[in-house]
Amino acid sequence: MDFAFLSGMLTQLLKGLPLTLNLGMLALAGGFGLSLILNLMRTTRVGNALASAYVFAFRGTPLLIQIFMIYYGLASFGFIRHGFLWPFLREPYWCGLLALILNDAAYTSEILRGGLRAVPRGAVEAARVSGMTRLTVMRRITLPIAVRQALPAYSNEVISILKSTALVSTITLMEVTGIARAAVSETWRAVEIFLCAAAIYLALSLLVTQLSAWAERRLSPWQFGETP
Amino acid sequence: MTLPSTALSIAGLRKSFGSNEVLRGIDLVAKDGDVISLIGASGSGKSTLLRCIPMLEIPDAGTVSVGEDSLSPTGGRLSRAQLAVARQMRGHLGFVFQNFNLWPHRTVLQNVIEAPLFVQNRPRAEAVDEATALLEKVGLSEKRDAWPAHLSGGQQQRVAIARALAQRPRAILFDEPTSALDPELVGEVLKVIRALAAEGRTMLIVTHEMGFAREVSSQVVFLHQGLIEEAGTPGQVFGNPASERCRAFLSGHFDRNR
Repeated sequence: MDFAFLSGMLTQLLKGLPLTLNLGMLALAGGFGLSLILNLMRTTRVGNALASAYVFAFRGTPLLIQIFMIYYGLASFGFIRHGFLWPFLREPYWCGLLALILNDAAYTSEILRGGLRAVPRGAVEAARVSGMTRLTVMRRITLPIAVRQALPAYSNEVISILKSTALVSTITLMEVTGIARAAVSETWRAVEIFLCAAAIYLALSLLVTQLSAWAERRLSPWQFGETP
Repeated sequence: MTLPSTALSIAGLRKSFGSNEVLRGIDLVAKDGDVISLIGASGSGKSTLLRCIPMLEIPDAGTVSVGEDSLSPTGGRLSRAQLAVARQMRGHLGFVFQNFNLWPHRTVLQNVIEAPLFVQNRPRAEAVDEATALLEKVGLSEKRDAWPAHLSGGQQQRVAIARALAQRPRAILFDEPTSALDPELVGEVLKVIRALAAEGRTMLIVTHEMGFAREVSSQVVFLHQGLIEEAGTPGQVFGNPASERCRAFLSGHFDRNR
């Protein structure tokens, strides 16, 4: 094995890491915000139908197609090409990020919905009967319990979205996978190069897994037989 | 000596779930210091009655008053203004559930100080001191930093009682407080409630523990199909009930326990 080549390649690929992390983090942040809105919408009948349709569409189609539709498809609409958002929507970065956010929101909203549904009814009743306002019940009881329930499923989504950023390499973005693809077409050493790229994603996943385990332990210590 | 004033009153209370009329016009008054036991077969409406007082179920008709606050909801809904009154009323009541309903993500102490801090806006030091005293009263001071999940049912229910007391309630409502407990844990909870009765606390207790009701109550109310069928002192209701249905219910109950 050519270790010099591997380590050189790793250094080169790591230059794409900031963009990978940037896309991943912003997609997660945007997706979480949007998922809160989607869950709020679910409290009304029309909103519920819209949210369901949204989740159906974005969870039911490949992310790659969503990226292509946004990057190649939006330009065919005159009003978008002449609209005020065009300076953003013609950039591959913003198109890729938008697709990631919209896709992540669909999954995250379902994860959050599951967490909210798993909040024991009795805990909410006890809060209401103590005289709390609806906002206080949400802030002190419902959301904290829902987030704890949703955490394991959400860590899956974090890993999934970090890996999904690889797909934006298809619209010219030079994140880790983008750099790897370019290097392969120059050197034809596909196995070594993609092995390096995979190692980077693997390290990220490991980090997320550790962080999530730590957060779970910290937020729900009683499930680990710990006393405060 | 002044007469005790009315802590809680219910007039003409009605509640339906769909076509099922669960409460068909209930009148009930609790003076300060009263301990009223609500008994009756399951489905007689006693839990619904109790849950209507803090508007956990919203009555279709009738009036509920707690201290100065009074609500007469119509059509099973509360307006925004009525909801504000309901919250005020809830603040003057303590409610103890059959399934304890402690908040799983908060420790025992945090459960007890939650409402004093986040509803009544009392200073933390004061709330903690009072909670500590209340936990001692229910015999759980050594568990103050435990998680609810690590307690037995009887201990959880005693925490729930301390949590209700921390609101400094005018009256405490118990919804079958021992029905979810293993038989050997019932005693420790009843002991706490008995001590509260001895202190002169105003309480409404939905219960199937007839012996306990007989011993602790100032008044016993027997519900049947959404109406008060029989009401009086424990001596009257248990000793010499006027209603045939009440007699049948009680004899069935005591036979089963024998």
